[in-house]
Amino acid sequence: MMLLTCPWCGPRNSTEFRFGGESHPRPRPDAATPEEWRDYLYFATNPRGWSRETWYHGSGCRRYFAIERHTETNEHRAIDERRAAEARR
Amino acid sequence: MSDPNTPTPNAPTPIARSPIAPINPRVENGWEVSDARSTAALTIADETPLAKVAVRAPFAGAIAGLLGVGFGRAARGPASLQADGLPEALVVGSGPGEWLVLAAPGTSPAVRQRLEALIAGTGEFASVVDLTHGRALMRLRGEDSPAMLAKVCAIDLSDDVVGNGAAFRSSVARLVTDIVRDDCFDARSAGAARGDGVRSYLLHCERSSGQYLFDALLDAGAEFGIEVTGSVRAAG
Repeated sequence: MMLLTCPWCGPRNSTEFRFGGESHPRPRPDAATPEEWRDYLYFATNPRGWSRETWYHGSGCRRYFAIERHTETNEHRAIDERRAAEARR
Repeated sequence: MSDPNTPTPNAPTPIARSPIAPINPRVENGWEVSDARSTAALTIADETPLAKVAVRAPFAGAIAGLLGVGFGRAARGPASLQADGLPEALVVGSGPGEWLVLAAPGTSPAVRQRLEALIAGTGEFASVVDLTHGRALMRLRGEDSPAMLAKVCAIDLSDDVVGNGAAFRSSVARLVTDIVRDDCFDARSAGAARGDGVRSYLLHCERSSGQYLFDALLDAGAEFGIEVTGSVRAAG
C-alpha cells in the first residue's frame, strides 16, 4: 500500500486518490503553436526521479493538489515554490 | 382510529422514508423510523431523519467564523444558529470550505432559512442546500466501535488522531463516508457522571449507498455483538 499525503487531510491510502498526471506550465493561449499545445496536452516527460504531479483526493476533501513524487521510490513532498522556480530558470 | 403505519391515499402529509429498511416501522416526525430498542454494548442506529443542511463558503471568511468550526472539527452550537427557538445543531466542518449542519428531525426548512439569513448578512458568496432527503446518516455507539470501524476504514481512530469532536471524510467499506466522532453523554452512558462519554460515531453517506453501508457495518460488527436500535437520541 502506498500512503500519499494530502495537504488538507494528511496521509491517506493512495486508493482514495485519482492520479491527475504530470503538471507542466500551461502554454499561453494567444502565443502557443499547435505543436506546443499537443505537447502540453498529450505528452509527459515521465522521468526516473522527482516529478511534479496533480492528484485528486476524491474520497476525502475532493480537492486537486500538486506534489512532487519520486517515481522510483514513491517518496513525495509538498512543492517548495522557490525551489521549483529555481529549477525552471 | 386508523393505523398510523398504513399510509392512506389522502394522507395529509407524505411519509419520508430512510434508505435503510426499518425494523418494526412506526412514524415519528413525518419519518418512518425503526421501533427496535437494544441495550447491547455496541449498537447501530439509523439517524437519517435528522435535518442535514450543507453550506459551501470561503474557507476562512466571515461565514466560517459564524459557524464556529473549522475543517476537521465538529461542535454543537453556534449561538448564532440557535436564535429564533431553533434546536441545538451539530455543525461539522466536513471539508475545506464545506460544512454540514445536523439538527432535530423536521427542522431543516427553519435551519436552512436561518443559515441563509446569516450568510446574507456577510455578503460572501456561499450556498446552502438541504440534503436531508439526499443522504443517509447512522450512528455507531459503543466502546468497541473504533475496533469495528478499523476493519472497514484505514484511518487511525485513536484518541490522539480522532478525538471527540473530530470529523473527516474517508473510505469506509470502499464507500466515501463522512465520519464524525460525537461521543454520547446521555444518562445511559457509563461514566457520564465522570464526564467520559461512550464512544460514538456518526457516519454519513449518499442516500443510494445507505443500506449498503448499514449492512456492511452490521457485518463488520457481528463479532462484537452489534445490534440495531432506534434513534439513540430518542432512546436516551
